[in-house]
Amino acid sequence: MKNSLSWLGFAALGAVGPLAAHFIPAGMTLSLLAQATFAAIFALGIGFLIRQNGTISFGHAAFFGLPGYAVAALLPLKLMPLEVLFAAALVGTVALAFAIGLVVVRVHGIAFGMLTLAIGQGLYEAATRWRAVTGGHDGMTLRLPREVFGLPVKLLQQPHGMFVAAWIVMTLCLVAVWLFARSPWGRLTEAIRDNEERVRFLGYRTLLPRAAVFAASALLVAIAGMLSVLYNAFISPDAIHWTASGSGLIMAILGGSAVAWGPLLGGFVYFFLKHAAGAYTTHWLSIIGVALILVAVAFPNGLAGLMIRQRSRP
Amino acid sequence: MIALAATGITKTYGGFTALSDVSLSVEHGEIRALIGPNGAGKSTLIDALSGRNPCLGRVELMGADISRLTPGKRRRLGLSRSFQKTSIFPRMTVRAQIELAARAVDGSDGMDVLDEFDLRPLADRLAGDIGYGDQRRLDLALAMTGQPHTLLLDEPAAGLSFEESKRLAAHLRDIAARRGVTVVIVEHDMDVVFAIADTITVLQLGQVLAEGRPDDIRANPDVVRAYLGSAA
Ligand SMILES: Nc1ncnc2c1ncn2[C@@H]1O[C@H](COP(=O)(O)OP(=O)(O)O)[C@@H](O)[C@H]1O
Ligand SMILES: [Mg+2]
Repeated sequence: MKNSLSWLGFAALGAVGPLAAHFIPAGMTLSLLAQATFAAIFALGIGFLIRQNGTISFGHAAFFGLPGYAVAALLPLKLMPLEVLFAAALVGTVALAFAIGLVVVRVHGIAFGMLTLAIGQGLYEAATRWRAVTGGHDGMTLRLPREVFGLPVKLLQQPHGMFVAAWIVMTLCLVAVWLFARSPWGRLTEAIRDNEERVRFLGYRTLLPRAAVFAASALLVAIAGMLSVLYNAFISPDAIHWTASGSGLIMAILGGSAVAWGPLLGGFVYFFLKHAAGAYTTHWLSIIGVALILVAVAFPNGLAGLMIRQRSRP
Repeated sequence: MIALAATGITKTYGGFTALSDVSLSVEHGEIRALIGPNGAGKSTLIDALSGRNPCLGRVELMGADISRLTPGKRRRLGLSRSFQKTSIFPRMTVRAQIELAARAVDGSDGMDVLDEFDLRPLADRLAGDIGYGDQRRLDLALAMTGQPHTLLLDEPAAGLSFEESKRLAAHLRDIAARRGVTVVIVEHDMDVVFAIADTITVLQLGQVLAEGRPDDIRANPDVVRAYLGSAA
């Protein structure tokens, strides 16, 4: 019963985006919506890490930008079709994240945050310094072929087409996260998060599952990065700066990571809050900061936690 | 047959020696009580046997050297333990964590353990929401899921009511006799100890002070002076 309700919810969510896009006139709003969807998927990945591993990463923007850079750098070499290149960039990012995960998931709390921050900033420095390949601070423009995944690139580079595509990808990512949490793997990693020692004494290895969660969260973030690169045909070091990681973290915490859809909500709210505040003041970051403090104090489980509490009241 | 043997176990914390050259040999199906004053090194010895912390010395399970194995590997070989401080998963249901424990060792659903420990009525409650005594039973049930042949129990009766301790003692006697489970139990309640132990090892200041049958231990003047006092 609860199960079929959830599936109905996913179907409804998947349909809402394309439907809404139909009624919103193409232009600024749709373009913002498309970018907000990238942000939401980004936050989903960060929230997934918080929920399954209980750790807060300050460097996940690296996994957002890395596949974009890989595609941008390799595209002119014409080694393989773009679709294969995209897949390879994702696989490569996940493999790298898994290797990094094997090291960083051994530490917790602040130490984990600092390690991920250092790795992220290391990549940022590399992207700004290694000008011949990355274009330095100016970034790189991608010359995409006319078609990707059987779709005209033009379609994916205009707001309507990209918003619909990103929304569907977002829904699929949410389903994947939801299915994972309910699987034996989800249970195992949550048990490790709460009491790793006991899990080891029950007969499990705990390092691999934690590293796998780290890699999976990187995959979600990388998917968001790929959509962004497809849409903008442009990548720059801003995408991997630690402030980008921080924004993703704020979105995940704002939305609340106790339920799978919390970070998505946080992503949209943050994105539009930022734009609304940006229209009136250049100090939007402080407004976000104040809003975040309010949320953290008043609703420790984020906006999603607040909504669930309201609903379950008699 | 010797189920569990430890030789020359030494554990130091900085300059402090918590265990000094301790050896222990437990027969298959035996219930061995580990007693001694606070800080004697009982928990440290359980940790050494179960692989919680690195230490010097050798541990053998059913004749095989397990000194280098991880706790998880030891568990899959049938050596299981519970913890002095309740170690459960408060945010998971009772059922989910028993299933988790079962999946690691024998792939069953672990429902037999739920019944064995009267936990079925609580199966769908979050472990953090159930009573303290129930949590202690859950801790034991996690250790006993998958029918391990050797159990290390660190003060399992701590905080249990008199009735609950008595039931636990009867339960341990039963599985030792019926299933041939070997038990090493740390216990402060001397009634429980004398009711179930086949052999008692007395630890003091990280060394074995005495070892023997309950009646001999009760009569040992060193043990009486160091630990039992007026209790015996
Ligand atoms: N992690 C630790 N660091 C330093 N000393 C410890 C540590 N764990 C235990 N000890 C010391 O080792 C001694 C034995 O402790 P323990 O094995 O817990 O005793 P028992 O279980 O017999 O009460 C105690 O003096 C205790 O203070
Ligand atoms: Mg102790």
